[in-house]
Amino acid sequence: MLLDLSGIQKRFGGVTALRDGNLAVEPGEVHLLLGENGAGKSTLMKIVAGMERRDSGRMLWQGRAAAFQTPAEAAAAGIAMVHQESLLAPHLSVAENIFLGREQRLPFGWVNRRRMVEQAARLIEEHHFPLHADWQVGRLSPAAKQLVGICRAIQHGSSLLIFDEPTSSLSGAETEEVFRIVRTLRARGMGVIYITHRLEELRAVGDRVTILRDGATVHNGPLAEVSTDRIIQYMVGREMVSIYQRQPLDPGPELLRVEGLTRRGVLHEVSFALRTGEIVGLAGLIGAGRTEACRAIFGVDPVDAGTIFVEGRAARIRSPREAVAAGIALITEDRQRTGLALRLPLAYNVTLANLGEISHFGVLDRQAQNRVTTDYIARLRIRCSSGRQAAGRLSGGNQQKVVIAKWLFRRARVFLFDEPTRGIDVGAKAEVFAVMDELARSGAAILMVSSEMQELLQVADRILVMRQGRISGELPGRTTQEEIMRYAALEPEAI
Amino acid sequence: MQRLLPFLSLIVLFVALAIASPHFLTETNLSSVVRQTAVINTMSLGMTVIIIAGGIDLSVGAMLAMSGVLGTMAMESGMPVPAGILIGVLTGLFWGSLNGFLTTRLRIAPFIVTLGTLGIIRGLTLIITGGLPVHRVPQSFAFLGEGNLLGVPFVLWVVVICAVATHVVLEHTRLGRYAFAIGSNPDAAVYAGVPVGFDTTAIYALGGLLTGLAGMIEASRLMTGQPTAGNGYELQAIAAVVIGGGSLHGGEGSVIGTLIGALIMGLLSNGSDLLGISPYLQQAIIGGVIILAVTVDELRKRRSHGDG
Repeated sequence: MLLDLSGIQKRFGGVTALRDGNLAVEPGEVHLLLGENGAGKSTLMKIVAGMERRDSGRMLWQGRAAAFQTPAEAAAAGIAMVHQESLLAPHLSVAENIFLGREQRLPFGWVNRRRMVEQAARLIEEHHFPLHADWQVGRLSPAAKQLVGICRAIQHGSSLLIFDEPTSSLSGAETEEVFRIVRTLRARGMGVIYITHRLEELRAVGDRVTILRDGATVHNGPLAEVSTDRIIQYMVGREMVSIYQRQPLDPGPELLRVEGLTRRGVLHEVSFALRTGEIVGLAGLIGAGRTEACRAIFGVDPVDAGTIFVEGRAARIRSPREAVAAGIALITEDRQRTGLALRLPLAYNVTLANLGEISHFGVLDRQAQNRVTTDYIARLRIRCSSGRQAAGRLSGGNQQKVVIAKWLFRRARVFLFDEPTRGIDVGAKAEVFAVMDELARSGAAILMVSSEMQELLQVADRILVMRQGRISGELPGRTTQEEIMRYAALEPEAI
Repeated sequence: MQRLLPFLSLIVLFVALAIASPHFLTETNLSSVVRQTAVINTMSLGMTVIIIAGGIDLSVGAMLAMSGVLGTMAMESGMPVPAGILIGVLTGLFWGSLNGFLTTRLRIAPFIVTLGTLGIIRGLTLIITGGLPVHRVPQSFAFLGEGNLLGVPFVLWVVVICAVATHVVLEHTRLGRYAFAIGSNPDAAVYAGVPVGFDTTAIYALGGLLTGLAGMIEASRLMTGQPTAGNGYELQAIAAVVIGGGSLHGGEGSVIGTLIGALIMGLLSNGSDLLGISPYLQQAIIGGVIILAVTVDELRKRRSHGDG
């Protein structure tokens, strides 16, 4: 046994994060760790990696009792973690990040930069990563950053690697690459703990599975012996519809039309239309220009050419402010960075985009604010203690609902959802879809960018596919993943 | 509960001083504390809003000097006292707006912009005056800083009115709400359609306006326009905000907190005078208090946010 945890408990102030965490990992296996957000997966892993200390419970590492006080101690013992939100130094190079804290030392504290770069380059080459040792990490895509994190973890020569949602920001091809790496590591006899929210990718890598719910281990065993539906039941603790299926409705008049949207080097002649009541999927690989298209429509990035029509009228959109005024909402993929003011109360966030409606001559009506907030908390079933709770303290799914509430209150009619379910657990995903469906039914038009094709197939009425900054195809909602992939990945002549 | 800590410290300090020195609780001393702290109080109100919006203004000390100088020069040239005061206030408003305009238009960190304007304003003030103080001001100008109204110092009324107004702006107007949003997450504010550029400029302008007023109070107390006035005041104003629970990361702070912060510093300095502690040591004590206050506040936040 490589790692054996039993009866692990951990409290943060008044909140119990772990009640009874159990996990046993053998060398040479990929062990999936599953559970909804807040189930205690990350806390359990932080305890293993020396980032948190347990309150009670037993931890055996390679047969001996262990309690790592710092990440450095855990790393020295052979445990490495690839973080979800890559903990990287954006101003340093790829090589410097890979070796951060373990630089090749020369006398007098000098760093052997040349050796470091060489070793990094070798590591990158070995795994065929699309990286360069000299690149500055801050300029990399989320996917590439993830790869740097993986390099960092594997160069330590560890015997246990923990992956915390390694593929949540990756495209299909990159995900395959991560799987390949995981399998290589397993073949070398390493233990791998793999945390994921993407249920469809379980079977591609996992050997055994441990499921946490509300801070306790509720199931463990070989993956082959449990069905995916069963796994979902263990995770949410109740029967639920495993797959959301939207009832399509007849689309109404056209709400948004984009014609010839071009941003040199990024977008080429992007044209499409959205009608009321429609949910249109936007598929493509990472870097295909989906997020960029949303940003351009919303006025974040300037465009070189193209016209945007809202309800048939050409709209001048040169800033998000003008986009908002035109009735467009962008729900970004990075809620924490661009969606919410995390330290401010939920009520402030819900009303931020439409303070005009709850103020008279610039003076806020706090009662109206609280009424509006209470109303949306109920309507969107936002789980929170009150409207005064800081937005940052809600779970991912509830944060997403706050962002949606903000745009509902702004009475936006065109919704651009960029990866709306990223980092959200299964139960909350279905709820977000239900909200999108309600929106469509109440007359909104929705564009939904997603890298999870399964999700698009469930929700979208039709699916646009982007490739290298162009719309490469339009498919009906009931298409197949293979069909989407053909348009997303292949040269037009090859389709 | 722990929010009350600055307030409790203030009360403890007050009681301790009342016990330690027989001169503390006298009318003369208390009104001199009020007069002494009025300048920093007024300035730090504006600084509160700026810091909540995630900014900082290092030029307020220099701005204060120029306001005082231009205001008193206007009086020297024969303008009535209220007009002179208005000119001082407008001077602050002008430089505040310029600070805001530069940070938002040039997209340069406010620390840098206001470090630059600090030099520019101070330099211009010295050029205008030739480095000499402006002395010939009408006697009635003293009323602003030294007069009494309804039995209390007139400046107390001024500070209270400014404080209430700033509080209302922060907590009950759209501009105040946007200040919190911009300070907490500027990107989210832009994406929500908040007029970030315009409002940021307005916030710096408000800070400048209050600084201009503070400059006239200072000039009235000295009965001169001092081109070298206000040296280092920017740090005191920032300290008041921070002791009162404001965060230099933006999104946090309050008028009441800032007033308490400014009063704690004022009492420390007054108490040290009364107890015969050297002014050199005073500076060190206040420096220590700043670090202590922020440490306590940080610990409180860490505990209440506790990650999981």
